[in-house]
Amino acid sequence: MSDPTRPVRKEETAGLMKYSAENLVPFGPIHPALKEPEYFKLILEGERIVEVIPRIGYVHRGLEKAAEMRPWVQNMYMFERTCGICSFVHSLTYGQAVEGLTIYETPRRAKFIRTIIAEMERIHSHLLWVGLMGHWAGFETLFMWVWRDREIVLDLVEAISGNRVHKSMNAFCGVRRDMPEGMEDRIVERMKFLVERANYYKEIVDTEETMLERTEGIGKISADMAEKLCAVGPMARYVGLRNDIRLTDPYAAYDEVPFDIVTRKEGDVHALLKLRLDELIVAANIVSYAVQHLPEGPIRVKIPPVIPAGENSSHSEAPRGEIFYYVKSSGGRTPDRVKSRQPTMANLPTALALLKGQTIADVPVVLTAIDPCFGCMDRMSFMDLESNRQWTWSGEQLRQYGIRHYFPERAKG
Amino acid sequence: MNYIEILQAIIFPGVLFTIGMGFLFDWLDRKTAARMQGRIGPKITGPSGTLQPLADFLKLLFKEEIIPSHADKTIFLFAPALYFLAPLLSMLFIPIISLNPLAGFDFDLLAILFLLAFAAFVVAVLSYSSASSFTTIATGRLVLQYVSYEIPMVLAIITAALYSKSLSVEGIVASQNKLWNIFIIPFAFAVYIVALMAELEKPPFDIPSAKTEIVAGWLTEFSGRALGFLKLTKEVGYVFGSALAVSLFLGGGLGPALTGLPSWILYFVYFMVKLMAVGFLIFVLKTSLARIKIGQATELFWKILTPISLAQIALVLFLVQGGILVAS
Repeated sequence: MSDPTRPVRKEETAGLMKYSAENLVPFGPIHPALKEPEYFKLILEGERIVEVIPRIGYVHRGLEKAAEMRPWVQNMYMFERTCGICSFVHSLTYGQAVEGLTIYETPRRAKFIRTIIAEMERIHSHLLWVGLMGHWAGFETLFMWVWRDREIVLDLVEAISGNRVHKSMNAFCGVRRDMPEGMEDRIVERMKFLVERANYYKEIVDTEETMLERTEGIGKISADMAEKLCAVGPMARYVGLRNDIRLTDPYAAYDEVPFDIVTRKEGDVHALLKLRLDELIVAANIVSYAVQHLPEGPIRVKIPPVIPAGENSSHSEAPRGEIFYYVKSSGGRTPDRVKSRQPTMANLPTALALLKGQTIADVPVVLTAIDPCFGCMDRMSFMDLESNRQWTWSGEQLRQYGIRHYFPERAKG
Repeated sequence: MNYIEILQAIIFPGVLFTIGMGFLFDWLDRKTAARMQGRIGPKITGPSGTLQPLADFLKLLFKEEIIPSHADKTIFLFAPALYFLAPLLSMLFIPIISLNPLAGFDFDLLAILFLLAFAAFVVAVLSYSSASSFTTIATGRLVLQYVSYEIPMVLAIITAALYSKSLSVEGIVASQNKLWNIFIIPFAFAVYIVALMAELEKPPFDIPSAKTEIVAGWLTEFSGRALGFLKLTKEVGYVFGSALAVSLFLGGGLGPALTGLPSWILYFVYFMVKLMAVGFLIFVLKTSLARIKIGQATELFWKILTPISLAQIALVLFLVQGGILVAS
């Protein structure tokens, strides 16, 4: 296998042409294993994959550009809609980046509430992934059971924030809603139940023979290679790298909550399953602790709608890995530039490296091991592999290109 | 052939009954899986949703049928009909209401083996005829899976025939008057059930139709009527496979005699109870397992199940020859 960290050169892309159409199996853009459209050309020899060519960009939504036309506050709720699963952490990270430009301080109680919601989101995201892993490996029963338990945490999120998916809890320097009265006991009791279930699922994935055969030794990667490919989140921790923003650069209330991250050594999909279930237990414990030690005080500081000039960045640990936001302000009502980097983008090279050498039966299991969220990830850039040239287009040029592409007859006239 | 026999062949216990059982098995399958997974399952159409499989089938009959432009049209259109015939014909050799099957003869077990192979062959051809990358992969997997499960399955069937000293299903059932074959050759029964699950493409052997890998496997390009009949054939194959297991290992419809009931009703009821039990065993197994890979399936059948069935045959022959067991 060639070194996947090396940039692809022109001769190599030309070399791919030698594979005929018979060896090429399209995986996506519409495929039952993918919840979002993304295209992977799999080049096979028999059942074994020799090359994967990704073609991303099917759900490009132009979020970063849209942010430049909207007020600061509105952007927070727009970025929350980047992802339907880890939605809160997007608004949290963007909020932190913007708060860094102002002189105001977030109250302690708000930080705790943020931690609680973020960890609940991690629980529901991990449960979602474990269930889907069952589905991808052809184990429908695991899928149904795990998703039933996922309802517990979704109900709690709804009780706290009023919404199941897009919580809309965050505001600059605070949160919009306080914790409801008398929720502590219920949350702690439900978290205990979830820990029980997580332990039960760990037992299932450890003892179920067919599940073991599908996951053990699949998607193996060394720690060196994972580091080289800049893997983040669970994809770094499952080979033993202690890579977790909650620990290395604490935000919200993570510096006040006692917890330790989980890492594993094996570096295969089975390790990922157990890692995510272990992380779920850690998250449940964090939620229980934070709910019981919730400090008194205000939940929000009102800040003016104009953000002082400057630039700032912030990162945080989403369920899938590190999320990064960069904001630049020139002192106006709208940002000059917002840049966001999603963990799927960072983990995609790892996924492609994992895929090579596997059989086609492993593709859904391995490709989705990174918990991909292609809708969050899709960005756009222009490059020509032939001449190795990169360029940018203005909005108007892009529009003209669209007209030429979709209505060739109109472009001529 | 008189009218009664013709009616029997068409309605009960012939073609229509078999198809009805196919729908019933589909419903039971869905309902069991749903209950085990904490869902409700079909509920609206008919009492407790019993008519849902029929409704699905009828819906597919009215859908547009799309023929891919690359497909071999003749095979693509006629192979589903051939495939549909295989389990229906095989079902005629199974004694359902009395010891006499509708179309039994002295060596009908061989005919059943032939029809099993024929069905697999038709599926491979029909899958290959639709000419898309997914069906091509599915064909490869299908053939590999077939050569894997065929040997242990035939060996398991032959074990029952050897012990019962008969090559007709009727003779094998009749020989189990005192003791069911499952108590003499339990391993052959186990091997048969596992091989049957592979033949029916039930998890963990749903490899040729793995939906998260190759869309719908060899069914991918089919639509409308053809899809409806192919799905129905799978269910009828389910019924036939279970019925064969009942006949070969569980004594068919034989059971303790009760006075006051016509013997055919009694035979039929016993048969159905056993059929449901075998069906239920497969439902439960299939719901609680994850899909394995094709290489692992081949390994399982060739390295583990084939030796087991050979050992079972050797053991039976040894015991019978040594006079320890009396062949019935």
